[in-house]
Amino acid sequence: MNKCTEIEIQEMLPDVLHGSLDGRERARLEAHLLTCESCRGDLDVLRAVKAAAIFAPAINVDSVVRQIPPYRSILPGVEKPARARVVQWLVAAAVVLGVVGGGSLVLSKQIRTSQPPVAVIVPESIKIAKAPEVAGSALAVAPKVIEVSATSRPQALALSTDVENLSDGNLVQLMNDMDQFDALPAAEPEPVISVDSGDSL
Amino acid sequence: MTPSPDSRPEETDMELITRWKAGDGRAATRLVGRHSQALARFAASAGEREGIEELVQDTFVRAFASIDSFRGESSLRTWLFTIERRLMLDRRRAERRSRETVSVQEADHVSEYGALDSLIAEEAQERVRRSLEALSPTQREVFTLRVQQGLSYKEIAEVVGSTEGAARVHYHNAIRTVKEYLSDE
Repeated sequence: MNKCTEIEIQEMLPDVLHGSLDGRERARLEAHLLTCESCRGDLDVLRAVKAAAIFAPAINVDSVVRQIPPYRSILPGVEKPARARVVQWLVAAAVVLGVVGGGSLVLSKQIRTSQPPVAVIVPESIKIAKAPEVAGSALAVAPKVIEVSATSRPQALALSTDVENLSDGNLVQLMNDMDQFDALPAAEPEPVISVDSGDSL
Repeated sequence: MTPSPDSRPEETDMELITRWKAGDGRAATRLVGRHSQALARFAASAGEREGIEELVQDTFVRAFASIDSFRGESSLRTWLFTIERRLMLDRRRAERRSRETVSVQEADHVSEYGALDSLIAEEAQERVRRSLEALSPTQREVFTLRVQQGLSYKEIAEVVGSTEGAARVHYHNAIRTVKEYLSDE
């Protein structure tokens, strides 16, 4: 028996058993079957397989239908009080967690902000750049750590105490950038020399 | 004269679902009557030996309980097969677990198979059944859904959670195996 190469026809064969082919497909298939022994053999096998499926037990429709709850009873929230209660408890738990979590967050922030910031005081004559204008500078490297208090204290560049939390790399970068920062005085301050007034003599 | 509800022309599954949602219990009866035997045949051909009626019942209970999730993108029967298949897999998993923990009642098991075999009158049909058992579980599902239930490859892919192309390949492999089995016997 020659093997059939008409894959599409082979795949269509079960549709013959269920009468689900349209007229054109059916005519094409019948014409093919006249000449293809392999497909005729396949069709015989398929008929036998279909016939072998008749031994499923008969289902008692009424007993199945009796087990089906009416539609209204399965609408959410109508007849599922237990589930609704579970949902309510979950919502309550979420609210409590949110309050506790949020409270602890606020508390930790307050503790952090109550510590005085380290301030670098620069002369008033030196122009202080505002935060948006310093992109690319050291302020852009660690924007959350450095605060330019341009609104309340325009003459001061304040660093929060979180500078301690900077990694070594960030710290070095910050120091390098600060060296190039125009607002800092170029020269070291002169040492203070005590002047002896000679009153003690 | 108004026709009685039972003498109406064939209503679609979606129309029956709508009627059932509106409180018409007879619509559920018609849906169950329309699809229950196909579900039973699918279960039997997939290798279920006992509790098929219970399985079909569970399938309908679950389907009606989640009927709002049925959008009509596939046929209702395809959707029901999908649910039934999932239930069969759950059942087999549970059976495997119980077999691991409890000593197997082999004698009962064998006698049930024997009883089933005695029901199969025709030798030819028994041979076909054995040839189907020679298939892999997926091949058998695909093959019986295609041959016994008449599902399209696309629908089969939905039921077994595969692709249409894979379903076609399983079909070709299955028919080749069945043919070889039957010609060898």
